[in-house]
Amino acid sequence: MWFTYGGRNREILEKLVARFNASQAEHHIDAVYQGDYYEGLAKLRTAIFAKAAPTFSHVVGEVIPYLARAGVLQRLDAYPGHADFDIVPELGQEKSWIGGAKQPLVALPFNRSTPIAYFNGDLLAREGVSAPSTWDELRALAKKLTRTAAPRRFGFGCPISWWFWVALVGQAGGQVVEADGKLSLGGSAGVEALRFWQTLVREDGTMRPPPGRDYNAWEQTNQDFLAGRTAMIWTSTAFLKYLEDNAPFRVVAAPLPAQRRRAVPTGGTHWVILKDAPETQKASAWAFLRFMHEDEQAIFWATNTGYMPVTRRAIRRLEREGYYAKHPNDRVAVDQLSVAQPWPWSTELFRIDREIVQPRLEAAVLSGKNAEALMAEARLEATRRE
Amino acid sequence: MRPRHPRDPFWMMLPTGTLLAVFFFYPLVFAAYTSLFRWDLLTEPEYVGLSNYRVLLESGELGHAFLTTLSFSVIVVIGSMSLGLALALALNRPGKFPAFVRGAIFSAYVVSWVSVALLWLWVLDPSAGVATTAVRALGGPSIDWLGNPDYALYTLALVTIWKIAGYSMVLFTAGLQDVPRSLIEAAALDGASGLQRFLNVTWPLLRPTTAFVATTSLILSFQVFDVVRVMTQGGPVRSTTVFVYAIYEQVFMNLRVGRASAEVVVFFVLLLGLTLLQLSTWRGKPKARA
Repeated sequence: MWFTYGGRNREILEKLVARFNASQAEHHIDAVYQGDYYEGLAKLRTAIFAKAAPTFSHVVGEVIPYLARAGVLQRLDAYPGHADFDIVPELGQEKSWIGGAKQPLVALPFNRSTPIAYFNGDLLAREGVSAPSTWDELRALAKKLTRTAAPRRFGFGCPISWWFWVALVGQAGGQVVEADGKLSLGGSAGVEALRFWQTLVREDGTMRPPPGRDYNAWEQTNQDFLAGRTAMIWTSTAFLKYLEDNAPFRVVAAPLPAQRRRAVPTGGTHWVILKDAPETQKASAWAFLRFMHEDEQAIFWATNTGYMPVTRRAIRRLEREGYYAKHPNDRVAVDQLSVAQPWPWSTELFRIDREIVQPRLEAAVLSGKNAEALMAEARLEATRRE
Repeated sequence: MRPRHPRDPFWMMLPTGTLLAVFFFYPLVFAAYTSLFRWDLLTEPEYVGLSNYRVLLESGELGHAFLTTLSFSVIVVIGSMSLGLALALALNRPGKFPAFVRGAIFSAYVVSWVSVALLWLWVLDPSAGVATTAVRALGGPSIDWLGNPDYALYTLALVTIWKIAGYSMVLFTAGLQDVPRSLIEAAALDGASGLQRFLNVTWPLLRPTTAFVATTSLILSFQVFDVVRVMTQGGPVRSTTVFVYAIYEQVFMNLRVGRASAEVVVFFVLLLGLTLLQLSTWRGKPKARA
């Protein structure tokens, strides 16, 4: 099995693999680290081509429709017990994608997340303020928490990244792909989302765009928050335990605010089994996936990382045992699932993100280019692409 | 010298020949072939003719990557050569201390690119980095070295100059030590000032070294990847998307093998041009130092 995260999450996963290997004698899983999501995906693709792929791996949601179309994923509905997992629909294939239930089952949820807001709790208490519930409140709070004198502090931080832009588009009332399948990039909501960032960065000076791209920018956002250089940030719920453990202040998590409505995308990865692997190894992979969907493991994973438990049973048990009452931050992402927006089942969306939208998000925020013109250009390019 | 057996040279060349064939010639021919297809490794390749080249040209990606790389290279070549020459002139003297300083400067060249990039990420941190703090302490503005699209490429160029200046310094030092002392002394006796001696005696004799340093630094700077991958990932706003990084992004991030292959072919032609330039310079200067 190949996996793609380091640090704390890696340790937790390796513990679970060891637990599985010790729990029975029939199967043995070797977990091999393969770099970050993108590096892992590049290696996986190359390995599939070279017929040296692992039996199973976890991959980011946005490439699953593409891998499914390429015909390299094993159908999972052929395996026993797949219907008994009691998966949270918004986190599984069923509702992660529009029409996901109509597709053959190829993906099972593993580390699933939504973006959430994190606050320096000590600062909130000192200033006597609370988490914002609208964009206007967020803007005002960012102003209040920004300090221009040394040591400088920004009120707000967020990676300039597609995932957070999609969240803003949803909150502004739009969607990247319309119900009829037309790629609108949110229309006016897409522009509004981008303008909101421009306002915070360029007009108010209350948000610092982190240097670097992709996960480097995410890491920088975390580091700014931990070092007290940013008072509130938006990032994945995945970092909850990491931030709580490393912050020299109390970390408070809250749902993302609304503009016209509340909305968040989901993120993270799903398990996939590679079709061409030997049957005996695929059976072992399935045994491991069944093990991972048992309450014990789903809970161990979620409560040690910040990702959401992927089964409804596990969530109910945490609720029943009082875990969420004791750890309200852990609840934020789970509660936000009520406003989670599914992704389109598209084989091209990840390229539209990387090639068309992402560079324009950066151009708008960092160079101050006209958001409306940039988004019109992006829409045109996206619709006429081959 | 004649081989004892006419086949001897061929089997002696076989190991190197095989390595070159497997790791250089075959991939290159394969890249040229795949550049004519739309292909993502997993689905069937679809023949598209020269469409990949057309898309790269029309989207401006090729031009952008070329201009970015060229700007980067010009700064790096001029910067590293000037600094290398200045250091060589300052440190080309006997004694343990100059030797120690030369060693210290050259050590940066030996350190891996990734380590250097990570080190400079700390130095240039826009909030707490040494460079930022120093500029602020001197009353300067707060500079976001890597986060501002107007500065990021220059910042990477400076880091590269810092790393490779030791290399040009060593070559220039060797060149300086080849300059006959008698010529310099004769010029001094004729009343030439220090600057005149440098401009009229030392500099002309350093030309072959300069040509070598210039071409190797140019090729090295054209191949830059590690600092970009670690420090900026091609951003912000693609301001540091140099050629090799653009290829990496196409194949590993966008899963476009055909388009990446087209970029590889263009890049190969560019590097071939640079190498021919180097060879022509060298063949004209048989006494130059390698």
